[in-house]
Amino acid sequence: MIQLRNVTKRFGNNLAVDDLSLSVPAGEIFGLLGHNGAGKSTAIGMMLGQVWPTAGQVLLRGRDVTQDRRAALQAVGAIFEAPVFYNELSAWRNLDILSSYTARTPSNRIAEVIEWVGLKGRERDTVKTYSHGMRARLALAQALLPQPELLILDEPGDGLDPEGIHEMRQTILRLRKELGLTILLSSHLLAEVEQVCTQIAVLNHGRKLFQGALSEARQAQNWVRLRTDNFAASAAALRDAHLILDDRDDNFILPAPSIETDKIVHCLVSAGHRVFEIAREEQTLEHFYLSLMKK
Amino acid sequence: MILLHLRNELWKLFGKKRTYIGFGMFLLAQAAVLLLLRYARGPRREMAHRLELLGYSPDQFMSAVTMATSTLIPVAFLLLPLYAALIGGDLLAKESEEGTLRMMLSRPISRSRIVMVKWLAGVVFSLLLVLVLGISGAVVAGCLFHGGGLFALIPQESVFTVLGPAEGWRRYALATFILSGKAVTIMGLALMFSCFNVKPAAATVMAISLLFLSSIIQEMPYFHDLQHWFITYHINYWFRVFMDPPPWADIWSSISILFGFNATILIIGCVGFQIRDIKS
Repeated sequence: MIQLRNVTKRFGNNLAVDDLSLSVPAGEIFGLLGHNGAGKSTAIGMMLGQVWPTAGQVLLRGRDVTQDRRAALQAVGAIFEAPVFYNELSAWRNLDILSSYTARTPSNRIAEVIEWVGLKGRERDTVKTYSHGMRARLALAQALLPQPELLILDEPGDGLDPEGIHEMRQTILRLRKELGLTILLSSHLLAEVEQVCTQIAVLNHGRKLFQGALSEARQAQNWVRLRTDNFAASAAALRDAHLILDDRDDNFILPAPSIETDKIVHCLVSAGHRVFEIAREEQTLEHFYLSLMKK
Repeated sequence: MILLHLRNELWKLFGKKRTYIGFGMFLLAQAAVLLLLRYARGPRREMAHRLELLGYSPDQFMSAVTMATSTLIPVAFLLLPLYAALIGGDLLAKESEEGTLRMMLSRPISRSRIVMVKWLAGVVFSLLLVLVLGISGAVVAGCLFHGGGLFALIPQESVFTVLGPAEGWRRYALATFILSGKAVTIMGLALMFSCFNVKPAAATVMAISLLFLSSIIQEMPYFHDLQHWFITYHINYWFRVFMDPPPWADIWSSISILFGFNATILIIGCVGFQIRDIKS
């Protein structure tokens, strides 16, 4: 559905995206992760034809965005962080205007989408009277109007309260389930990405560090929870014995490849430590992300 | 579809309170000048004295059409360029600043279409503004002053004309219509600047500055013979309608030059907008 082939973007001397190749399969909820300035928004800008790539090719639904913009963006909806509208106009008028840039949209379609996002009864009010949550729903409505196959969400949870974030999450899952959309989600909220995404890519300084299934990211590292009488000394002893690669949070160790927990216990007991607990810990996305960033 | 997009742009333009405030200020300024001419002794005395010096009766020529024409001059030289540049500068740069441009460009609409449609909306706005000014000037002047002939004196443009009432009103209507060309050109110039990555105010200031510079250099004695090379010479062609007889060849020449100028700045704006990166 989305393909970036060796895409590079320079803003003057600043290399925002560096030889990025990315592939978003159809039907997936794809998470695009990275720190501030990693190149996520620039990559999304290039996908939508708002930013011109310095090199490489950007394909949306098989069409080159720079060469055939109309066909590439025909069935694409997008939501940006802090959604903005024409505040003096009503929600209905805003939707009418924005949807017309794709195609003439009948009134019943606008009404249908307004009802779907839960804004029925408020559509004739001016947008300046809307709360942040209502604006987020209106942003979703404008993205759904062209009956998209692909939805691109750039930090959609920005500024939302916990209820709003929960609602956003449920909406994303509902969109995939009911409408079969492919969704690209760029977000800082790793917990949210972990709950909705099926595939992820991690960017750092414009380069891709990882792309794969979320389950793959979780299995990538097998951290073990360890409780002893002295964690720091225990970790040091295990490092000296080359049994672990890393430790964190005074609670977790990362065994070296092929090292089983019995060898770890044996080493610690031999070193005079008391072992209270040792158990495999399921990797969270946050842990995986932070370990990637550390590298 | 282009008409649909034009309709949308007009919705955006006329959806803003600022548009009506600007219109209102224009009408207020116009009414204030006419009221001053009607009730303030100084301006009336000055005008009557000038007419008598030239051998014309103040009773006959301090008429509605003369006063309506008199208010057109400060509006055309001072207020109209400023407001037209303000509107033109806002058309694209304001949407970029506010973030709605990103929403628009996430749709399959071409960038050149956006510029074209915004320009068209600016043209409609400019025509409407000048039309409203012309009509309101005529109506208010008609209420405050009696009927009579037209006395038009614009010394800096070498205009001195005395005409009967019917011909006077005809020339006034023509001048108002042709004045829209000036508004469109200034609006288009500001729109061109707003196609680049600048703030709305910067686009307005650049347009006004360019016109200011052009008018200053044009007035320099050294450039007197080269006046027709300056855009300010051509955008002020509307007052030549008051010459007797009007130099139609000259007027049509200026119209065609402005047509070419507008086409050129529109193309430059389209190119500038096309190659630009739109970011948050």
